[in-house]
Amino acid sequence: MMTPKKSLQEIQLDLQSGDYSMSELVDSYLQYAKKHESLNIYIELYEEEVKKQANRIDQQIKNGAQLGALYGCVISIKDIISYKDHGLTAASKILDGYISPYHATAVERLLAEDAIIIGRTNCDEFGMGSANENSIYGPTKNGADEHRVPGGSSGASAVSVQMNTCLIALGSDTGGSVRQPASFCGVYGLKPSYGRISRYGLIAYASSFDQIGILGHGPDDIARVLEVSAGKDPMDATSASRPIDRYSADKVISNPKIAYFSSLIDHEKLEENIKNNFLQILEQLRSSGASIVEKGFEFADYLVPTYYVLTTAEASTNLSRYDGVRYGHRSESSSTLEDMYVNSRTEGFGKEVKRRIMLGTYVLSEGYFDAYFTKAQQVRRLITEEINKVLEECDFIILPTSTSLPWRIGEMKEDPVAVYISDMYTVLANLTGLPCISIPSGNNTDGLPFGIQIMSKKYSEHDLLALAKSLKSATT
Amino acid sequence: MKEYTTVIGLEVHVQLNTISKAFCADPNKFGQEPNTNISAVSLALPGTLPVLNEEQVSSSVKLAHALGSNINKENRFDRKNYSYPDLPKGYQITQDKLPICVGGKMIYTSDGQEKTVRIHHIHMEEDAGKSSHDLHDKYSMVDINRAGTPLLEIVTEPDLRTAQEVHDFISALQQLVRYLNISDGNMEEGSLRCDVNVSVMPSDSNIYGERNEIKNVNSKKFAKTAVEYESKRQIKILESGGTIDMNTLLFDPIKGTTAPMRSKEEANDYRYFPDPDLPPVVLSDAFINECIAEVTMLPWTAKSILKEQYALSTYDTDLISREKSTVDFFRQFDLPTKSYSTLASFISNQALPFIADHQLDISDLNVSNISEFITLIDSGKVSRSGALKALSAQVLIAKESNLNIEKLAQENNLIQSDDQEFLDAIIAEILSQNEGKVKAYQSGKKGLLGFFMGQVMGRSKGKANPEVLNKKLVKALG
Repeated sequence: MMTPKKSLQEIQLDLQSGDYSMSELVDSYLQYAKKHESLNIYIELYEEEVKKQANRIDQQIKNGAQLGALYGCVISIKDIISYKDHGLTAASKILDGYISPYHATAVERLLAEDAIIIGRTNCDEFGMGSANENSIYGPTKNGADEHRVPGGSSGASAVSVQMNTCLIALGSDTGGSVRQPASFCGVYGLKPSYGRISRYGLIAYASSFDQIGILGHGPDDIARVLEVSAGKDPMDATSASRPIDRYSADKVISNPKIAYFSSLIDHEKLEENIKNNFLQILEQLRSSGASIVEKGFEFADYLVPTYYVLTTAEASTNLSRYDGVRYGHRSESSSTLEDMYVNSRTEGFGKEVKRRIMLGTYVLSEGYFDAYFTKAQQVRRLITEEINKVLEECDFIILPTSTSLPWRIGEMKEDPVAVYISDMYTVLANLTGLPCISIPSGNNTDGLPFGIQIMSKKYSEHDLLALAKSLKSATT
Repeated sequence: MKEYTTVIGLEVHVQLNTISKAFCADPNKFGQEPNTNISAVSLALPGTLPVLNEEQVSSSVKLAHALGSNINKENRFDRKNYSYPDLPKGYQITQDKLPICVGGKMIYTSDGQEKTVRIHHIHMEEDAGKSSHDLHDKYSMVDINRAGTPLLEIVTEPDLRTAQEVHDFISALQQLVRYLNISDGNMEEGSLRCDVNVSVMPSDSNIYGERNEIKNVNSKKFAKTAVEYESKRQIKILESGGTIDMNTLLFDPIKGTTAPMRSKEEANDYRYFPDPDLPPVVLSDAFINECIAEVTMLPWTAKSILKEQYALSTYDTDLISREKSTVDFFRQFDLPTKSYSTLASFISNQALPFIADHQLDISDLNVSNISEFITLIDSGKVSRSGALKALSAQVLIAKESNLNIEKLAQENNLIQSDDQEFLDAIIAEILSQNEGKVKAYQSGKKGLLGFFMGQVMGRSKGKANPEVLNKKLVKALG
């Protein structure tokens, strides 16, 4: 097996100089994928297809043909993003047998630049979960410790990069679903600004929070994939029309002003070794010329409740379309229309999805709407204003990614609320729509990885990636 | 029995004639094969998103302008959640909190009088698909073509009082949406449907009774029948000492009756909330002005132009103003006589039936031929009735070629004669053949003049000039 390749720039150089072929590279990824089959990363590997595609690229290289910006880039996609003529289930029985007849805009843009999609990865059902345990295909395991979860909901996306089965993973992030598994698996995970990458073709969980995210071995590759996939899309009214930057271009961030929130760092839920590591990183940043600003933040305990009221409300109606009428699972044992709905959805949705549909239906119900939904919307606005105020004064905000290290598979099954609370640091970026990246920052004594997050002003992904790069070169 | 007043408010759904659907690029077309105008978005496949069709907004602005409504510049969309197989997303996109138009009024004519209905608001939404339960013995059939068709829902204040008013108001609204060219207003094809809210109260009261809503009434005639039936039903209950419960009813067009919907269907909590897929749309003044500039004529301005500038009768005004295209056609004429009543009745009685029979558009007709023809008739050189009878079809059918009307009239022997001797001879002949009637006339039955006119006219093959003939006959009969 080939030594794992960790940078697109390196791969493209190697391919041009003939060190190995695209076909050999793809074979190597496939071998790693098979070797780690027990981790349950892929729902489906597109083996024959990718071999053909690799062959075509090899021919083109041989002929000296012009290639797209992402040739050599092998990508896994989360089973929640549409890839034309391929299965798509959101890891749910309700979409059993569904084949998407169209490309997500992001996928279309990646393919147009000669990226290769190697397979679709496992995830939490409809992106609802923090451990990749809520899947009809069973849990995905963390490559650092098979008994532990890889995080979620893009858990398998993170493991696909961690175990070198691809170079880049496309996931989705509604409340940390890219960043938290990136942290659990020791890779980089970017959630761009809300609206930066089109959501067209991304199965909706909570529309005003969802964003396609990118996982990789480093900020350079992520930047290159972002600059291809981002940008206005006429099929998504919420996509941003603001021009995209050349994210891969070098940018110097000198003496940045970085804020952190003491109330979040002193929070009782934060594990001690993550906290210590976080404080060390602060020191390191300070010594490299950054000014570190301590800030108060009074909404710490409102983050998770606000997030869950609003996301479940949106989810409860986003998931109404899965009714067994036009596609997906339809219960056979129904004699009336109402039975068909009830049975199809009861059989088709998993426990966590049902829980969130019920919660969301409740908060939107007559008589409860103002007390929950309207109130949560107001809190969301306050939080956003507060964070934007901090970002007027400072360039970045730094946070831990998760309160905890990867837990043991099954360990948290009976305590969903504890799992919800572990997301308190990641939901902030989705509540505010700001770009945020999780960066590997250390391992505990058992070798379990964890990360820190950096957040910046809306659409300032270039700054964010530049700072991540400078941190990477400082630590390696 | 007490006197009762019926109070009626309407919720009218107008399907817009936009090229594509309300929130995607699928064609907005009626009468296609089932499930053909459906892309991934119409089918609500996983991952698809709605994007607002701007044409829906401009149609709303035009209607708001016509009715004098206030236009909300910031528009938001909400989801109305309910489950039905013909509703692919499991919710309908509508405007719950901030409708595009608020207030305004519609003036219409009923029973010869001008009446006013105040508009509560108008909001944008999308239509559902269509379910059919009688096409297959085992299955219900769903056609998604209609799903996503842009609708405007016009909600009136309870200002209507009779079934006839409901009928006439809907007619006026149909006419308006056609003038604005925002809908074909065709009720048979479902382009215009309404929910009718009916209550009754003692005529000396000013407190409205409990209302019942009759759903999905899809013709003016049905609306009229439904109101008549429902108000009688409610009065009967009150008269027998009962009370009216608030209910949602379905109208049975075959029996002409109303009956409550099953309670399950109305026990809906729609869980309205702002649609996160559609950012607020802010209308600029420039956009609003552009939309308004496209409104070139409204039914009531057309009527006053026809009456005042062209001095038409109420009858001709109503007929010609029915469609904007007829008014536009009519206004192309600039007759040398500046007298338009002959033209108006020609259009009403000849041209409109002709284009209906031949499935033509009024704009297909040749203005200059008609103009010459009418001028000839008004000159008195030809018999009016003779010319209309003999030449109308030829004049109407000649779309492209310019006819020589005067020559045609000669060829058809239509030029009227005031030749004294020719007329005198015929009069003498007719009088001698009808001595009895001459005597009767002379003894006071002056009404017989018409008989003699007809006889002479017939004998002259319509060439007699009626004015001259009239004078001569009166003289000859003494």
